[in-house]
Amino acid sequence: MIMSKEVLTQLLAATEEVFETMVFKPVSRQDPIEDETVRPASNVVATVAFAGHRRGLVAFHSSLGTARNIAGAMLGMPAEEINGEMPDAIGEIANMIAGSFRTKLAATEPACAIAVPTVTIGSDFSTRYLGQASRVLCPFQMDGEPIYVELILTGEQS
Amino acid sequence: MRILVVDDSSTMRRIIINTLNKLGYKECHEAGNGREGVDKLASTPVDMVITDWNMPEMSGIDFIRAIRGNDATKKLPILMVTTNAAQDDIMEAMKAGVNNYVVKPFTPDTIKEKIESALKAA
Repeated sequence: MIMSKEVLTQLLAATEEVFETMVFKPVSRQDPIEDETVRPASNVVATVAFAGHRRGLVAFHSSLGTARNIAGAMLGMPAEEINGEMPDAIGEIANMIAGSFRTKLAATEPACAIAVPTVTIGSDFSTRYLGQASRVLCPFQMDGEPIYVELILTGEQS
Repeated sequence: MRILVVDDSSTMRRIIINTLNKLGYKECHEAGNGREGVDKLASTPVDMVITDWNMPEMSGIDFIRAIRGNDATKKLPILMVTTNAAQDDIMEAMKAGVNNYVVKPFTPDTIKEKIESALKAA
């Protein structure tokens, strides 16, 4: 399945808005990737599932160092002092991207419900989505470092 | 002014409190969910509550109902800060008794404007 342009536009706008207002670091977008085989190299993945009119999940990916930089910027702390705060901060990033995305879509369709964020940290893992789904991976650059926002939509609504 | 910030995300509590401190609101208290918020209000008088919606144990909506159902706290100004921003969400929060509503992500100016508006509305 191919992701609709409207859905993609709202996801990109939600991501940019979250980084500008809550991380105080603008991100620059790159071409979205719809190739199912491309997986971002990331040590930190935060996911937020949603259900209702649409079903799927939003996932945020970054390296460990970038995740610490993001958490430090959000909390007003030097990145090197960030440790235990990072998972909560990255979970909140995914929560705000998914929430803002949901709100933007709800302007023209019934609202979905979103779940609480889940954060995975590690160096040797991958995720696989079972069943029929459409997927897009949106790469961004923040301070010259790559970050990724992935959207998976299952069922017929894409 | 004393403000109680209730959010299950420690990051979001810190961001909101940092923002409040910059706006001149220096006396801030915090709680990790609605239940902790109720307990905190019983022991620490405040002039305003800022709460999230989606929290474990007691949600923001149930927390607001608990505040409005208690004679000691029923007139407290309440500001909700949440990602739930669909029209139906806002209606539900207003019905529960929230005075104003901030959608995440937010700017300090938005928080300032909404606090002032919630204080006037209370």
